[in-house]
Amino acid sequence: MNARPLMRLRLTTAATEEIGPTPHGMLSIFPITGGSFEGERLRGIVLGGADWVTAAADGTRELDLRVTLETDDSALIHMTFAGVLDDANHYFRTLPRFETAAPKYAFLNRLLAVGIGEAHRDGPVHTIEEIL
Amino acid sequence: MNTRLLMTLRVTVATPQSIGAVPHGTRRTVPITGGDFEGPRLRGSVLPGGSADWLLLRADGVLELDLRATLRTDDGGLISMRSFGLRHGPPDVIEALARGEAVDPAAYYFRTTPRFETAHPAHAFLNHLITVASGDRRNEGPIYTIHELL
Repeated sequence: MNARPLMRLRLTTAATEEIGPTPHGMLSIFPITGGSFEGERLRGIVLGGADWVTAAADGTRELDLRVTLETDDSALIHMTFAGVLDDANHYFRTLPRFETAAPKYAFLNRLLAVGIGEAHRDGPVHTIEEIL
Repeated sequence: MNTRLLMTLRVTVATPQSIGAVPHGTRRTVPITGGDFEGPRLRGSVLPGGSADWLLLRADGVLELDLRATLRTDDGGLISMRSFGLRHGPPDVIEALARGEAVDPAAYYFRTTPRFETAHPAHAFLNHLITVASGDRRNEGPIYTIHELL
């Protein structure tokens, strides 16, 4: 499979809301308070959102993120991803999707992407590539 | 992006059910009647019950695919597969596909992101994989080459 860089996304998070054991596993909500993104075709800031993280019995966590991005020319982009975080195997991968009404960024509506995540002390960093 | 081949999946399809114009676009459901899959670590067949692809043609001309299928491995494991995908391309290419002509899959964008669930211990690695697939739309049904994201 071929891919090309789309953006590097840095997220800042607030204190985790621990919902606890639910029928699907241990649910934690990570509020996203801000951040930034940068790539050749777009850059800007993260307005906010959250990541709903459910830990399975085997310790693997399933991610379900929603955030709003604002580009440096004031377009709004709705971004979501599903993902997997498996600390034991250093596997932190996501499937971002985008929706926007801004014609300049309409290419985002037409692509599938993958993200490689890294946990940093001040929040996760995702390197996102477009699947060609 | 580092990947490795997970499987090649061929599904066979029945006559589509044209639901028609719905609030988010034009909806069409394509029943899956069977098929097979083969890769270095698993192989087997596609079960017809509950397998279909729910298609939505959006106003911007992009076709959204929402496939669900049950796979049975040759050692008796059942795997539930779901994949979201997108298909789009130049109008003449999409029209040729609609007419049932053979089209080089490089001429259009047909990508999906399969996820898997299984209770079978030998295939439990599938539960936590992020995968990407490229599709080749054929008249008898699509062929997906699925790669695991490493």
